Amino acid sequence: MTIAERNFETVSRRTLLAGGLAGGFLFAFHLPARALSVNEPVQPPDDTAGKFAPNAFIRIDRSGTTTLVMPQVEMGQGVYTSISMILAEELDADFSRVALEHAPPSDKLYGNPLFGIQATGNSNSIRAWWPHLRTAGASARAMLVQAAAQQWQVDPASCTTANSEVMHKDSGRKLSYGALALAASSEVPPKDVPLKDPKDFVLVGKPLKRLDTPDKVNGKAVYGIDATLLNMKFATLKVCPVFGGKVAKVDDSAAKKIPGVQKIVVLDDFVAVVGDHMWAAKKGLDAR
Amino acid sequence: MATTLTINGEPKSFDAPADMPLLWVLRDVLGMTGTKFGCGIAQCGACTVHIDGKAVRSCMLPVGAVRDRAVTTIEGVGASPVGAKVQKAWLELEVVQCGYCQSGQIMAAAALLAATPHPDDSDIDAAMAGNICRCGTYVRIRAAIKQAASQRQS
Repeated sequence: MTIAERNFETVSRRTLLAGGLAGGFLFAFHLPARALSVNEPVQPPDDTAGKFAPNAFIRIDRSGTTTLVMPQVEMGQGVYTSISMILAEELDADFSRVALEHAPPSDKLYGNPLFGIQATGNSNSIRAWWPHLRTAGASARAMLVQAAAQQWQVDPASCTTANSEVMHKDSGRKLSYGALALAASSEVPPKDVPLKDPKDFVLVGKPLKRLDTPDKVNGKAVYGIDATLLNMKFATLKVCPVFGGKVAKVDDSAAKKIPGVQKIVVLDDFVAVVGDHMWAAKKGLDAR
Repeated sequence: MATTLTINGEPKSFDAPADMPLLWVLRDVLGMTGTKFGCGIAQCGACTVHIDGKAVRSCMLPVGAVRDRAVTTIEGVGASPVGAKVQKAWLELEVVQCGYCQSGQIMAAAALLAATPHPDDSDIDAAMAGNICRCGTYVRIRAAIKQAASQRQS
């Protein structure tokens, strides 16, 4: 069971809403009850084959690359970096070698613990995730330690971790997390895993460079508007300029003549033009 | 209409009407989404690219007007020493907040430094005034341009 799943057993959506109201500050994230079952694939659709994937947030492959799965949206607030710091802190991962991935849609696995749905807002990302991400990191670390201790036939308590390595001080042996990835996959996540004493933090509390910005100075970052699907079309629309107004009639003969226009969609209160690209859609919408 | 443009040093062929703004050719036809759509009326600077090294708003530039001139976008600007210096300074000073406007900011700054290697504040104001940032990163943009200008050509 994942951390997020465990979390939702103890905190129901109803108590979340009640608690939020009692606190006197509630974001308007009301969804009809059935919407909660939407976007909940049985398994997260990311690729975990051949990787140590102890929970929804951590993937370690045999080369040691540690992929951290981001449950919150990066909007410039730096949350990709702070979430990574929390996970890497308890995991004792080499922070210079982490890769980030946005979480696939799943309220069950990645729902914000304070909202009950996959949402970012209210300045609550760290407040919401802090204990859960620490536990996720610490559990993964413990499983890697168990795997190493078993291989060395030593007491797990005699092992230490740092920079994505498990070390056994007495014998001077060490194994990288990558080398342990396979063996750790068959370890059982520990119950009540101990978390670090904050005085031992090596990442949390330090001013670090943001992890999301390198891709934002070279055009590689994918924003919502940049999402691309195979054979995707583009649409733009006009709504009635008067509030509550409805579409009276549509003459789409000129629009249909614009090269690249694929379809004109007329609904109650707006007209949309679908085209091969934004230019066709826009020209189609403006066509007289 | 089949058109070939030189984009980031490589020839790219595509079909597009001549009046289609370069922005949509880049984004929707060629899939180069680093150049951003902001306002569509050349008022915000998010879509800035280089045409023969000059900063141009691609949302209002008909692709038919580009002809044989070289197009450089955010995906390719790092290949030039001045573009690489700007990107480096941007990261060193953590200019980026949400980042949506920064492709355009970086293209405008790189064009400025290519033409004016040591700009003063008024040069920076004049070159960057057309690039709007909702996060308000202007102070760091100015500092990063100065830092990039102070670094030796690598």
